[in-house]
Amino acid sequence: MRVDGAKGERFDEVFDYVVIGSGAAGATAARALAGTGRSVCVLEEGPAVDPAAFGADSWGAFRSMFRDANGQIATGRAFMPVIQGRVLGGSTVINSAIAWRLPDDVFAEWAALGLADALPPKELHRYWDEIEKDLSVAATPVEAWGSFNTLMRDGARRLGVEASPTRRYASGCGGTSQCLTGCPSGAKRSMLTTYLPQAESKGAVIVTGAEARRVRIVDRCAVAVEGKLSAPGRPSFMAKARRAVIVAASAIQTPQLLARSGVRSAHLGHHFMAHPGTPLTGLFDAPANLWRGATQGFDSTHHRRDYRVKIETIGLPPEVVFARLPGAGRRWKERMALAKQTAIFAVQTRAWAEGTVREGPFGALIRYDLTRRDMMQIRRGLRFAAELLFAAGAREVWPGIHGLPEKLLPGEAHRLEAGPDNPGSYSWILSHLFGTARMAAHGSAGVVGHDFAVHGVPNLVVADSSVFPTNLGVNPQHAIMAVARLCAERLAERTR
Amino acid sequence: MLGERDRAVLDALLPPGGPEGLPGAFEAGFEEFERGFRADAPATMRLGWRAALLVAAWISPLLIRRLPPLDRLSADEREAALEAMGKSRFHLIRQVFLLLKAVTSFGYGSTPAVRRAVGYDAR
Repeated sequence: MRVDGAKGERFDEVFDYVVIGSGAAGATAARALAGTGRSVCVLEEGPAVDPAAFGADSWGAFRSMFRDANGQIATGRAFMPVIQGRVLGGSTVINSAIAWRLPDDVFAEWAALGLADALPPKELHRYWDEIEKDLSVAATPVEAWGSFNTLMRDGARRLGVEASPTRRYASGCGGTSQCLTGCPSGAKRSMLTTYLPQAESKGAVIVTGAEARRVRIVDRCAVAVEGKLSAPGRPSFMAKARRAVIVAASAIQTPQLLARSGVRSAHLGHHFMAHPGTPLTGLFDAPANLWRGATQGFDSTHHRRDYRVKIETIGLPPEVVFARLPGAGRRWKERMALAKQTAIFAVQTRAWAEGTVREGPFGALIRYDLTRRDMMQIRRGLRFAAELLFAAGAREVWPGIHGLPEKLLPGEAHRLEAGPDNPGSYSWILSHLFGTARMAAHGSAGVVGHDFAVHGVPNLVVADSSVFPTNLGVNPQHAIMAVARLCAERLAERTR
Repeated sequence: MLGERDRAVLDALLPPGGPEGLPGAFEAGFEEFERGFRADAPATMRLGWRAALLVAAWISPLLIRRLPPLDRLSADEREAALEAMGKSRFHLIRQVFLLLKAVTSFGYGSTPAVRRAVGYDAR
């Protein structure tokens, strides 16, 4: 059943479980809990967008499906846009649908933090097997590569380094470079088109336009979720929970919601980690057609362990590409005219930096500053990305970095490694967000325990990447889904 | 509504004429996009956009040692002043310039004329 809070539709019922958030974590948890035969309500702040309405208009997509129309910013020495979906299906609707199992070395780090039993690799791999079947995970098919993805393969072959087509949740990808706008071709297997309808078919009530403001906690027991509908006048709602409340609102929203609900922990909103990324543009003699091919169809993890970077191709529509091209006036237009001959390789780093998230008067206050070590990783990654671009045949690389020349020629990739140390000299995108309600056995070290419950409130659980003790170095949707499934199954068992 | 000074900024940023038949901002219909943007964008973004236009009009000329506002300058000087924003040693000015270009790009790059000119056919 669907309830549209934007139309003021009501749903004043009591549910066994109330799930806050409908992205990778919320949808996975809701589906698993609905499968037990108990009643489930999913609360989503954003709207439900009909996949038939997905188009090729980036601003339209930002406005309707992204938090703050993609204007959410982390501040520090640099301003970093923080990308998040705010739509039914969450960020899975607007991301590039990349599926990475947690690498063994990250599992080892988590085990060293005492989480081997709480997040056991064997169980998570079992879930990944199922999820991959459910969501048609496969390597980007050759017919969806397009030129710009093929260029990474060519560059990697010439350098003798590792690069491969990304494994993605997609079936019949047409390579339209429109993952960002929701995938108008309908190939992407987001939560909107998979787990949410499946949860609904098992009886879950899905409410859109419903912003959860706080969890009502009485005598250490979560009893309801209170919030506002997005209908005119912002009417209040209350969704009562008989057994548990599951918070899956993201590493930005979850700590704010818990703080508003009276949860007190020195770790809440702290340890915010991410994968900051910065792009590099290569100019080729022939068209690279960066708007024709799977959005992030190829990547290189060759330096994932040593430099802690991952290099990804990015296909984007012109209106997004243009903004980053250098110049103004005629010179900007000259670059636009060359845009079809460019390819973008982005460097994403597994940063060491930890920031904070708290509530401000106009939304989340996200404070995040990269460390010197992070900047060294990024600069090495940029050099590697430039070497890939040159090896693929780029005649110029446009760094877009303040303090470096506007273009680098073959043989000059090393200049990127000697680039500025100040993050403010680069342009960033912050995605993949973790750690603001981290898991630890004791309340003195984290916000939730090994059972995912907030310390001191046994039936208030956190199922999203807020609980992750570290960032991952790879795209997190797959890890988030498996962990949410584990959380839901343990909760169902515990609250039988 | 865009004022004369705002129009001067946008005209300098994306002037008529140039390579590959790329139109100017107003030839491409940017004004219509801007009206929608002002109606739909979050308040912080609208505020940022207004601030970006103001900085471009009143601060950018100073970066090339000319007196503001921008519309007093020649076409070449206007472009040079805007370019100087992108190269400014002040991070905030560079960010404001990026915002100016980003919003302009959203409107400009999504118009059929521009997409045609750069060879993008959204399937």
